[in-house]
Amino acid sequence: MAGMAATAGIASALMLTVTTASAHDYSIIPDQFVVCTTCHGVELKGNKSVDAPRLNGMEAWYVKMQLQAFKSGWRGTHPQDLTGMEMQPQAAVLSDKSIDAAAEFVSHVLPRTETLGHSIVGDSSRGERLYATCAACHGANGQGNEALKAPRLAGQNDWYLLRQLEKYRSGVRGHVPADTWGQQMRAVIKVLDSAADSTAAMADVVTYINTFSSNSS
Amino acid sequence: MTNLHSRRNFLNLVGSAGGSAAVYQMALALGLTPGRALGSPQLVRPLSGASRSVVLLGGGLSSLMSAYELERAGYQCTILEASHRIGGRNLTLRAGDLIDEVGNPRRCRFDDDPALYFNAGAARIPAHHHYLMHYCKELGVALEAFTNVDYNAWLQEDERFGGRPIRFRHFMADAKGFIAELSAKAIDANEFDAALSPEDVERILGFLKRYGDLDVNAIYRGSPRAGFKHPGALAPTPGMIDEGEFVERLDFSEILKSSFWHERLHFHEELDYSAPMMQPVDGMDKIVDGFARHIKSPILTHAQVKSIRLQESGVSVVYQHQGEHLQIQADFCMNCIPKHLLAGIDNNFPNEYRTALAAIHRGGPFKIGIQMGKRFWEDENIYGGISWSSQHIEQIWYPTHNIHGNKGVVLGAYSWGDNADFFTRLNPEQRFEAALHQGQKIHPNYRKYAESFVSIPWYRMNHHLGCTARWTEEASKRYFSYLQAPLAGRHFLMGDQLSHHAGWQEGAFSSAHHALVELQKLVAADLGSTT
Ligand SMILES: Cc1cc2nc3c(=O)[nH]c(=O)nc-3n(C[C@H](O)[C@H](O)[C@H](O)COP(=O)(O)OP(=O)(O)OC[C@H]3O[C@@H](n4cnc5c(N)ncnc54)[C@H](O)[C@@H]3O)c2cc1C
Repeated sequence: MAGMAATAGIASALMLTVTTASAHDYSIIPDQFVVCTTCHGVELKGNKSVDAPRLNGMEAWYVKMQLQAFKSGWRGTHPQDLTGMEMQPQAAVLSDKSIDAAAEFVSHVLPRTETLGHSIVGDSSRGERLYATCAACHGANGQGNEALKAPRLAGQNDWYLLRQLEKYRSGVRGHVPADTWGQQMRAVIKVLDSAADSTAAMADVVTYINTFSSNSS
Repeated sequence: MTNLHSRRNFLNLVGSAGGSAAVYQMALALGLTPGRALGSPQLVRPLSGASRSVVLLGGGLSSLMSAYELERAGYQCTILEASHRIGGRNLTLRAGDLIDEVGNPRRCRFDDDPALYFNAGAARIPAHHHYLMHYCKELGVALEAFTNVDYNAWLQEDERFGGRPIRFRHFMADAKGFIAELSAKAIDANEFDAALSPEDVERILGFLKRYGDLDVNAIYRGSPRAGFKHPGALAPTPGMIDEGEFVERLDFSEILKSSFWHERLHFHEELDYSAPMMQPVDGMDKIVDGFARHIKSPILTHAQVKSIRLQESGVSVVYQHQGEHLQIQADFCMNCIPKHLLAGIDNNFPNEYRTALAAIHRGGPFKIGIQMGKRFWEDENIYGGISWSSQHIEQIWYPTHNIHGNKGVVLGAYSWGDNADFFTRLNPEQRFEAALHQGQKIHPNYRKYAESFVSIPWYRMNHHLGCTARWTEEASKRYFSYLQAPLAGRHFLMGDQLSHHAGWQEGAFSSAHHALVELQKLVAADLGSTT
């Protein structure tokens, strides 16, 4: 595996060697989905520098649902939804079949065990109290619940979760009447919004979510 | 001779301070090596029998230059490029080419004609960008003049002069005339001539009269510089066999309020935009082709880098290519992948390095190229240069090449900031429509000639997601030299992102040269210790 020791006398030089890498390390990305990794990163691990959340470990049903939401313009069309607008055209060009294929592809990129860096620091114990409302759908450990169309939260980038809460609060997400689940979330967010310091309240909830093990299922 | 002597003395001094590699570099810079005399400076000192390997990540110009220089010096190189093509932001689009926008992949539908190309990224070269000029010469890339300023082009501002377009020369002449007249009055009023002799005052007045084309009494009454009223095509050119009638003078208060007054009027005096400027004949990517023709090392496209691991004795890079993962081991890694995409690639960089990468922000200019069925601008005496608008399109450029040819590709928008975002968020057809709608305010028949288009929002281009790294002063102070230095003696970040001249090819070349110098220092030290 390591480069061959090089010519006489120069101990440190490496010949340029190419070997087949261990297949377990990374997923082979089908050509049509390489573009997903430009933004969402290698192994769809997420890339904050380009505002793209982690996708590995995301449930196939949720990926499908959200691609459809983007495609139908429920997400990423509000004039203030600048990051959603970046995703929207990607989904808009997908056929239903490609959406299935994309969901299948994403769900096969395994959640990585590497710990996520946490970028949000709030009051976790207040977050825990506030989370009680969220737990009804998303589960006590943020594991998600397909029956209620509530995605897993554990293991998602905290900056992304916070941004989505803000979007629900401001009505940038969940603003289309036909988007039943989005509307539901928009209604529920009022719980946090009613707190005097709603921005801090959202950060607290996300801080609490950060304590969940990303492997919980 | 004395000159040469003193230069040699200087080199000795350099040698005692920085070692032999420094002397070599300096000698190159001073033109004292035989290589330079042959027009082919070797930036990298030959390995002379030793062996070293370098993997270059991203097929941008900084990688191409580095590979070209390194392999000539005996290094083993491989370039890995994720896209279907090399060249990165040096992108020329022609009939059939893929416009690889994330979410909106399209083909270029221009006519299949070598003159109908569009430089969607880099488009103009200032003569003082000497690496660029050097490589064009060395690689046999033919250059031609690029007209960046055309005094017959238009200025159009919705809120000024009733929104109607004004010739650049008209605005320029009137603006200067009024300013000169004002200044002359101020002098006459003895307000600031206390310290000047009467002769000096005369000299200044003389200058002002010429500067603004004032009459003998230092009053601006219009000037042929502003252009004459035009009687129409095929009538005698005004001012040739008659006196010519001046165009009406612009309202000075409108000039003062106009944004051009503040911004565009002096644009062509800026260092990177003043004459002479150049472009490669047949498209900017002839520079990429020039490198590709000369580089013998493997250049892999569709090779997306997934992991960069710095190791005790080298670098290990994993990439996906043709359906499998491959791992490459090399002594060094030179890397021009955009810093915001590096964050999405597996790596074992120290935290501080990651923090530094995240501190640089990205910009995202937008360009649209429109194939026009007729070179209508030539009927307006425009043969290149830029019309400026206060609308989202900001600029219209007219092709400098193929004058009086059949058709031409016009740049229909070149926007930045909010204006770029406006276009980026539209779909390609909407962008085209908006560009036509806005362009019509300058050229009423614009739409009639528009045949096809390419739209390039750099913020959304695959494998780029931005152009023009934005350094805050704070980030620059904290991280610029840190990121410039080799990481663990193995990894060299480069590209225009690591220059003080982001958005220019010269910045990419300069950063590559810096990295090559650093790399050689390490190699020299290493070879020195093993021999
Ligand atoms: C709109 C616009 C106008 C410009 N105008 C001018 C001009 O007039 N004059 C001028 O001199 N310059 C201009 N420039 C700037 C010039 O194009 C750039 O400075 C130069 O091309 C940058 O070269 P680079 O070496 O930094 O690499 P880049 O061109 O940034 O190349 C980076 C490469 O990395 C590749 N890559 C990304 N991810 C991966 C991965 N995971 N694995 C492998 N490869 C990867 C990309 O595909 C790309 O090829 C302009 C640029 C733009 C966008």
